[in-house]
Amino acid sequence: MSEPKEARAAVTGIGVVAPNGTSTDTFWKATHEGVSVLDRISREGCADLPLKVAGEVRGFEPADTIDGRFLVQTDRYTHFALAAADLALEDARLGQADTDADPYAVGVVTAAGSGGGEFGQRELQQLWGKGSRFVGPYQSIAWFYAASTGQISIRRGFKGPCSVVASDEAGGLDALAHAARAVRRGTDVIVAGATEAPLAPYSMVCQLGYGELSLETDPERAYRPFTEGARGFVPAEGGAMLVVESERAARERGAEVRAYVAGHAATFTGASRWTESRAGLAEAVRRALDEAGCAPEEVDVVFADALGIPEADRAEALALADALGAHGTRVPVTAPKTGTGRGYCAAPVLDSAAAVLAMEHGLIPPTPNVQDVCHDLDLVTGRARPAELRTALVLSRGLMGSNSALVLRHGAAHAQQ
Amino acid sequence: MNAQITVEELATLMRTAAGVTVAPEELLERGEAGGFEALGVDSLGLLGIVGELENRHGTPMPPDAERCRTPRQFLDLVNSTLMAGA
Repeated sequence: MSEPKEARAAVTGIGVVAPNGTSTDTFWKATHEGVSVLDRISREGCADLPLKVAGEVRGFEPADTIDGRFLVQTDRYTHFALAAADLALEDARLGQADTDADPYAVGVVTAAGSGGGEFGQRELQQLWGKGSRFVGPYQSIAWFYAASTGQISIRRGFKGPCSVVASDEAGGLDALAHAARAVRRGTDVIVAGATEAPLAPYSMVCQLGYGELSLETDPERAYRPFTEGARGFVPAEGGAMLVVESERAARERGAEVRAYVAGHAATFTGASRWTESRAGLAEAVRRALDEAGCAPEEVDVVFADALGIPEADRAEALALADALGAHGTRVPVTAPKTGTGRGYCAAPVLDSAAAVLAMEHGLIPPTPNVQDVCHDLDLVTGRARPAELRTALVLSRGLMGSNSALVLRHGAAHAQQ
Repeated sequence: MNAQITVEELATLMRTAAGVTVAPEELLERGEAGGFEALGVDSLGLLGIVGELENRHGTPMPPDAERCRTPRQFLDLVNSTLMAGA
């Protein structure tokens, strides 16, 4: 008796609420055109803080699509997650009636770095300004980093496996991998991803302790990894949710397999120990490729972590050479997040969304605001580069020391394996 | 000041504290069938409404207030409490 073949984990839907677009189409247009939307922070109460430049999501009206019952009990980061989940499910053509037919077949996995800071700040101001009786009861759930997973599953009636990954910024990739594992274990659909809303006074003050944060005031110069002008990273809000689905379930309902989540690995090398991250990132890449059954030469594009600290940028370039050999200096590398900012856990999920879209369009998006690369990398700058893309490698590191690598394979190109 | 809590005040609190919008003239009738739960007000939402009322009226509500099943039961209980305290 032979073992039943494991279901492959497919990406069938993408939902994006990002600084450069509040729909997947507008996000991809701005991403492949290399538009930078980094700008001076305009949120209320932030003007006097030394952090001046970020990637804000503007023109997003949560009340347009989310019922008041959910709005009053959730933070902005969950508003992004609810909206992105709606977009991803719509993109996958999974309507409410489809998921209601078997609610136990659908689950949710999210990652979050900062949780609901703005909601928490408001309620803590009530506490210290007026007293404990003026703190609303939803403070008990809104700040929590599990809130988005819970609220998506409640709002949609999903009863399948639900979880939250708390593993630093790289958790965005770990969430997608966790979703793929749940699918391989037998769940039909996992709505997976990450959103963040770290641009409110309390949340921003928390970030000021990060030595890697860019305090540069000129948006065009604030986030330029892999250059002599690298001076840290710019934070961002927003994020993306993907529909990760068993290939069998997708094919049964006639849905298009956009990509496969083919391999993943994570390592840990310690907070802000960027030189050491070289070995950790290289090992994550090796193990992810091994799980995917992918030779280094098969990687057609790399979405870099691109922290923007010289020591970290050097470690990432060297890690690619360590893990991919000579191919590491030849493979096209991109970091579209230099145009949107780095949304903590959301950043590698947006990169994963961009990687799927890049494979579909045969186009590597460029790295905005970056010229004159000072590392041995083929970084795509200026304008998008046409290329046949069958396999993408997405990298992420967290400020607290997590390193992750995710291998995505193009759906049509890998359908017959 | 009239210490009684009206249906209109409850409808406003349901909207601001629990995010549930129901027209005041429909509130009692619609609330009879399935109670707060069917209207979409969960236990934390009702807790928030009770807390807001206590702050506005400067008086504690009985513990049973947040366990009332329907808007009519809720109004009867809190108004009798406010009457007794007046």
